[in-house]
Amino acid sequence: MSLLEVKNLAVRFGPWAAVAEISFALAAGERFGIVGESGSGKTLTAMAITGLLPDGAIAEGSILIDGTPLPQDERSMARLRGKRIGMVFQEPMTALNPLMRVEEQIEEAITLNRSDGAPLDVPHLLEEVGLEPRHGQRFPHQLSGGQRQRVMIAMALAGQPDLLIADEPTSALDLITQRRILDLIAEICERRQMALLFISHDLKAVAALCTRVAVMQKGRLVETGATEAIFAAPGQDYTRKLVAASRFEPRSEGRSRKAETLVEIEKVTRDYRQGGVLPWGNKPLRAVDGVSFSIHAGECLALVGPSGCGKTTLAKIIVGLDTASSGAVRLEGVSYRGRDLPKSLRRDVSLVFQDPFGSFNPRMTIAGSLGEPLRLERGLTPDTLRERVQLAIAAVGLEPSMLARYPHEFSGGQRQRLAIARALVTRPKLVVLDEPVSALDVSVRGEVLALLARLQAEFGLTYLIISHDLDMVRAMADRVLVMEAGRMVEEGGPHEIFARPQHRLTQELVTARLPEIA
Amino acid sequence: MRRVLAHPSLVIGLAGTLLFAVIGLLSMVWTPYPIEQIVVARRFLPPSPEHWLGTDNLGRDMASLVMAGTYTSFLVAAIAVAIGAGIGVPLGLAAAAWGGAVEWLVLRLSDFVFAFPAIVVAILITALIGPGAVNAIVAIGIFNIPVFARVARGGALSIATLDFVAAGRLAGLGNAAIAYRHLLPNIMSLIIVQGTIQLSLGILSEAGLSYVGLGTQPPETSLGLMLRDAQGVFLIHPWLTLVPGLCIVLIVIALNIAGDGLRDAIDPRLRQGETHVAS
Repeated sequence: MSLLEVKNLAVRFGPWAAVAEISFALAAGERFGIVGESGSGKTLTAMAITGLLPDGAIAEGSILIDGTPLPQDERSMARLRGKRIGMVFQEPMTALNPLMRVEEQIEEAITLNRSDGAPLDVPHLLEEVGLEPRHGQRFPHQLSGGQRQRVMIAMALAGQPDLLIADEPTSALDLITQRRILDLIAEICERRQMALLFISHDLKAVAALCTRVAVMQKGRLVETGATEAIFAAPGQDYTRKLVAASRFEPRSEGRSRKAETLVEIEKVTRDYRQGGVLPWGNKPLRAVDGVSFSIHAGECLALVGPSGCGKTTLAKIIVGLDTASSGAVRLEGVSYRGRDLPKSLRRDVSLVFQDPFGSFNPRMTIAGSLGEPLRLERGLTPDTLRERVQLAIAAVGLEPSMLARYPHEFSGGQRQRLAIARALVTRPKLVVLDEPVSALDVSVRGEVLALLARLQAEFGLTYLIISHDLDMVRAMADRVLVMEAGRMVEEGGPHEIFARPQHRLTQELVTARLPEIA
Repeated sequence: MRRVLAHPSLVIGLAGTLLFAVIGLLSMVWTPYPIEQIVVARRFLPPSPEHWLGTDNLGRDMASLVMAGTYTSFLVAAIAVAIGAGIGVPLGLAAAAWGGAVEWLVLRLSDFVFAFPAIVVAILITALIGPGAVNAIVAIGIFNIPVFARVARGGALSIATLDFVAAGRLAGLGNAAIAYRHLLPNIMSLIIVQGTIQLSLGILSEAGLSYVGLGTQPPETSLGLMLRDAQGVFLIHPWLTLVPGLCIVLIVIALNIAGDGLRDAIDPRLRQGETHVAS
């Protein structure tokens, strides 16, 4: 008999079925993955299994655990959640109580789920998830993202569940931590003979962790089967598309690269004063520490590093949103420190933001947003202005008729195209791309990267890409810089760096990459 | 429009508010009797077809007085809200857009004004230039400024961290342009909701100021002034106190319900299918 059996599950919001006709079974000790893009209903499926659906959602169909249906009343459901099903969520900071030490929170989870089995204690659990006893003394905000996720796993294990549900447990973490957490989950499932229901948009993570996989699209199951079989030979078009999109095709070489230097960064340092009234109290936080490099005209330079290494701060200084504490940036012979970037030069650099949802004013039409940077060019008539905006939107493959619409009418991929159009409307020389595809669904990432490559060839742009996604960097970049704790630690071509990493951090990054699927 | 009608409390509140506003506005062009007309012979009449709400201690028609009083209350509160929003919102936006010394100055200024209730400001103005409806407007208006400044700053701060504001800065917009183009449209809903709340508080304050004699002066009238005139005969003729008192209560309740409904209607978390940045 299977541990978990879902038959014909549907989740409805009024008449609209967000999830329908979901059936799958999970044997004891099995590792099962659900893959799908945002909005495919994979999280709703997990919530239906745990009885945590949001208000207004109605679940239909049957969910059996060890052959018995889920209890109806909240009390016995809560007991079941603790003892049979453990859960790990996406964002560990919001899932932990900020005012309780983590050992108290784990202790609480143990007391609430006391079973007759072997007694558990906090130090034991902490050790199992790879934390030291001193970490238990801390509050959630004193731990790193990876450590917080380990605490979440320890709490999920406190009831000694038979099934662990992990909903995107690593998507808020950087590459190295992601790999460690995935390895930890695999190891714990192995040791405890615990079944795993792993929900993710990342095909590689699912492939690395799960033996069986289900692919979801628009609330329906598209395909279910053994992981290797499905990813090696997808039976459905949608799966094929996902598998193809999760591989980045390296760009064809042979772009014209000029030797002239476009931007020079000279010993740029950025200190942030930390809280406290007294100016001499705390040591300032050094986000960027004496970084020097140059960007050649026409190249695509990638800046790689773990989260918090200062790469975004550096980008803000280059585009003129932040000011360096010392050092200077030189663009076409003009030296500036950040916000003092002269207005005449502002049109030569632009930035594409990471999050396509926050980068447009919801109360302005797309035409208004796209036309905004053109204020930097003096003496444009309304006609030429309209023409330039239309050219920009056509360049990213969207219709000029869309200009009258508002941002909420567009999907994430379309918004990122519009953000690129806005960055190009002043015909800049340097475009800084801050994680340009990491907020997008897998299937549109490829399109956006292809668009960026085409635009570079067409307009002779210079790119500075900021990312922690090594596969994307390898596909796009001509040259890679690796940053750690505000310093530049390694530089080289993508192939050399990834084949023979020299610095410890680069080696860690390269080994943390998940294997290519199939 | 359908979104507005989906909130019953908003419909009820707005209908009540509009009803009183129309009654008040009507008094500008027509009242059953002139409110200054004193006819001692017909004083303390009970409600009758000639005098719908009876007459007061000077024989004035109560229905006419209520109409004129409502008009005064609304006018005073509305102008005070306009003063508060007109000065407070730009101050709050400036604090959020410039930060640093400007923000410090705006916050300390609003702390300073907050320390004086409207009544103290009104006493101060009365001491300087004498009582009157205009003084009530100024006093309540000054009291409204820091309220709007804080709401605007709070809303604008949460918007200012979003990427489109950074995009605006990249496009070379100055602080003033950022505040006007990007911050203001996105905090409008907050300002409107706060406006209805301040309107009801303004009506209460005006009633209070007139009641202690610092607001509207006879022969003009306001609901607070009517309360004051009637309090001496409350035990003999309670009706004269109940009418203006109930009017104040009903107007304030209607405005509060409308404000709550407006907040629900505008609140992005309660809205389906449309994303909004202020969430």
